[in-house]
Amino acid sequence: MSSLLALAERIEQTSLGTAIAESSLAFPIIEGIHLIGLSVAVGLLFFTDLRLMGVLFKKIPLTDVLHQLRPWMLGGFIAIFISGGLLFLAEATVLVSSPAFAFKLVFLALAGINALYFEFVIARRPEVKENRAVLPSSVRYAGFASLTLWTLVIISGRLIPYLPAWS
Amino acid sequence: MSISDVLTVIQNSVVAHAISKSDHLVGAALQVVHVIGFILLLAALVLMSLRLLGVILKHQPVADVIADASRLLWIGLALAVVSGTLMFVSSPKLYFYKFAFELKMLLFVVAVLVQFTVFRKVAKAESPSPAFVRATVALSLVTWFGIGLAGRMIGFT
Repeated sequence: MSSLLALAERIEQTSLGTAIAESSLAFPIIEGIHLIGLSVAVGLLFFTDLRLMGVLFKKIPLTDVLHQLRPWMLGGFIAIFISGGLLFLAEATVLVSSPAFAFKLVFLALAGINALYFEFVIARRPEVKENRAVLPSSVRYAGFASLTLWTLVIISGRLIPYLPAWS
Repeated sequence: MSISDVLTVIQNSVVAHAISKSDHLVGAALQVVHVIGFILLLAALVLMSLRLLGVILKHQPVADVIADASRLLWIGLALAVVSGTLMFVSSPKLYFYKFAFELKMLLFVVAVLVQFTVFRKVAKAESPSPAFVRATVALSLVTWFGIGLAGRMIGFT
C-alpha cells in the first residue's frame, strides 16, 4: 500500500499531473467531459441493457440496437477513459487512498468481463444473430448484470470525495 | 422580503435541517441520485437526437424511438430535479450566489423551454425541414450539456 502511494505521488508530480491539478479551469472542465462521456457511453449502454432485458424498444430488432449504438458508445468510452486518465494523473494519491475508487475499478473490471462474455459468447448464438422472437434467458441476465455493474461504477465514482480513506 | 431573507427562511426550514444535520452520506446519496438522473436524461436526449438527425435506427419510426426514450428522459429529469432541489434547500446560501449555479439555472430554464416547444414540435412533425431539426437538436444538446458542465463547476468556484 505504501509503495502504491509512493507511485501515486510520483504520478501526481509529473508535469501533466501538476498542470491539471493547479489549473482552476482544466480540472472542472475535464470532470465535465468525464460526465458527458459517461452519459453518452454508459447512458446509451443503459438503453441497450434495457432492450436486452425486454423493458424498452421491444419493437426494434435487438441487432439493430446493438450495432447502431455501438460506435457512439465506443466514442463515449474513449472520452471517459482519456478524461479519467487525466483526472487520475492530477489526483492519484487521493484516488489510491479512497476505498470508493478501489470498488469503482473492481465493478469496472466486472462490467468489462460481462461485456466481453456477451460479445463473444451470448451475441454469437444463432437465436440472437437471427433476432428470433424468443431469446435465451442469458441475454436478459447479461443486460441486468451490465445495468447493475455500471450503476455501481457510477455510485462508487461519485462517492470518492465522500469516502477518502479506508478507516 | 429580500432574496436573502427568503434564503434564510429556506435554510431554517424543517427539510433543510433534516438534510444538513443528517449523516454526510445523505448528502452523498443525493449527489449519486442527481448524477444518475442526469445521465439518464442526457442519454435519452442523445438517443432521440441521433434518431431525429437520421443517424441511427433509420428504419424505425421516429415515434417508436421517441416514446420509449422520453419515458427515461422524464424519469431522469424527475430524479435530478428532486435530488437537486433537496441539495439546494439544505444550503441555499452556499449555491445561490455562485456564478456556476446561476448559469446552470439559467440554462435549465432555457433547456426546459426548448424541450417543451421546438423539440416536441420536431419530434412530432411528419417531415420537418432538416435545417430546423439540426438547429433544434443542436440547441437542445448544447443547453443540456452546458447544464452538466456548469453543474460540475459549482464545487470548484
